[in-house]
Amino acid sequence: MSEPSDTDAVISVEDLAKTYRTPFRRRRVEALRGVTFQVRRGETFGFLGPNGAGKTTTIRVLMGLIGATAGTARILGQPVPSRAARQRLGFLPEQPYFYDYLTVPELLDLAGRLFGLPAAERRKRADALIEKVGLARARTQPLKKFSKGMLQRAGLAQALINDPDLVVFDEPMSGLDPIGRKEVRDLIHELRDAGKTVFFSSHILSDVESVSDRVAIVMRGKIEAVGSPRELAGRTLLGVDVTLRIADPRGAAAEEIAARGDRVRRGDQELSFTLAADADVDEVLAFARERGAKVVAVSPRHDTLEDLFMSRALASDGGRAAGAEVQDGGHLR
Amino acid sequence: MTGVAGIWGRLWAIALNTFREAARIRVLYGVLVLVFGANAFAIVLGEMSIHEQARVARDVGLAGISLFGSLTAIFLGVALLYAEVQKRTVHAIVSKPIERWEFVLGKYLGIATTLTVLVALFTVAMVLLLLYQGVTVSGAVGKAVVLAWMEVLTVAAIAVFFSSFSTPFLSGIFALGLFVIGRVTPDMKAALGSEEASATIKGVLSVVLEVVPDLHLFAISGRTLDGQHVTVHGDFVSWGYVATASGYGLLWIAGLLALAMVIFQRRDFA
Repeated sequence: MSEPSDTDAVISVEDLAKTYRTPFRRRRVEALRGVTFQVRRGETFGFLGPNGAGKTTTIRVLMGLIGATAGTARILGQPVPSRAARQRLGFLPEQPYFYDYLTVPELLDLAGRLFGLPAAERRKRADALIEKVGLARARTQPLKKFSKGMLQRAGLAQALINDPDLVVFDEPMSGLDPIGRKEVRDLIHELRDAGKTVFFSSHILSDVESVSDRVAIVMRGKIEAVGSPRELAGRTLLGVDVTLRIADPRGAAAEEIAARGDRVRRGDQELSFTLAADADVDEVLAFARERGAKVVAVSPRHDTLEDLFMSRALASDGGRAAGAEVQDGGHLR
Repeated sequence: MTGVAGIWGRLWAIALNTFREAARIRVLYGVLVLVFGANAFAIVLGEMSIHEQARVARDVGLAGISLFGSLTAIFLGVALLYAEVQKRTVHAIVSKPIERWEFVLGKYLGIATTLTVLVALFTVAMVLLLLYQGVTVSGAVGKAVVLAWMEVLTVAAIAVFFSSFSTPFLSGIFALGLFVIGRVTPDMKAALGSEEASATIKGVLSVVLEVVPDLHLFAISGRTLDGQHVTVHGDFVSWGYVATASGYGLLWIAGLLALAMVIFQRRDFA
């Protein structure tokens, strides 16, 4: 796994640390403890971690919202915070809060003015973005009447008003229904196809896995792993999934075959099970055929990003809490 | 867009948005109705005070501008920056190519524009009242309005300064406190010269007089200036005085906003 050179790096973070003091007891809280990673030009980079891991803190340092206690961060070659760099980036904050008395066109007009766009250009881009994020019917409504998903769409639109080179999304799928999540995934793909660099945080493992070229896993303020989802997750063969067609999946022959594996599932004339990684697959398949079964599918079972995430999470104190929050389908709360 | 045009464009964007926000606050319309009502009530008061209709009309009109203008400035100013941080609306703004000092100045310009519109409307109410009473609108009234307007803008800067680091409730108390103290500076100066006041009280008063804007300069009618009694109903201050007092107000506004900018620059928006 090679790290990009400084000239390729759109985001470059080195040994970033952030320590807070709690309001009354003045207790020290280490939100970031030496975070280091780089994001290459044109890639989609997922920033994955449980709640409280340091994702949003890192993004807030990058956006100049908070100052780092130690370390360095550069965006588009400029040290953070830099107005010149912000001119070329778009940002969607976590749970975006906007002026709720504005309509979407007014919000986009305000954003466009801050980027110094001429009036005609602001209107043109705003109209196109409103259409793109599916808010055309709500363009006359104030934002206070928007649902969470609609606000997220408005946030995406304002993040793209300047046609940025780099987009930073903090939890862009948060609060969206499955259709909305798919639309955001499609949008990220579209941005990547247009040559943009996308940096986004998420706790939804499947979303990160499906759209990211590379992923960083952050736990308790430290980067635990960086690489492509395949590099990170696909290294170890965990087992082999086998699906057979057999006349009686609950009969004696099926029982004999199933005894060779585990995680046995039975359907209508169908028997599925998982063989150990070191099992002799050919021998098991021959054994099954001898008992009248036909092979439907054989597929290797590798580590998923979720497996890796869970193993890292459980290995750290903070991760135990995170692990407890894992939902079916690899979602974290 | 770069340079001065770029800065102005960003300031205008924030100011316009702040004005839009203020224009949606219904309380302001209530204040407007109150001031128009007070002016209407002045007609009744004027009828009750024989030959004093003009005096009552001017006093009520100018007091309305000064008092309601300043209270509105405190009301709008104390939440101006604090609410942006609390509601996190600032996140989507300062992550764009705008400097934090531009944001603070833009917010102030927005509130100043709102207050200027209000002062203009209060003045219209007073002028209508004066015309109804058949009183000529003199240059003295014009000077008094400009002074009241400068006072309102100074009070707004005080409120914005506190808003950069404190809650609206505390900022309101601090700003109101400074407004009251700033209005009674002649009495404090008198106490400072008194033989009855203790050394401790004199010490405190001299410090307070140094750190509190002298708002009494803007409400000079009925006071003594350089040994002469000045009143908006007769001999009033010169335009030179108005310019000097305005310059004093602008210096305080610049100082308070500079402090607010420094504080805002150093804040973490978590």
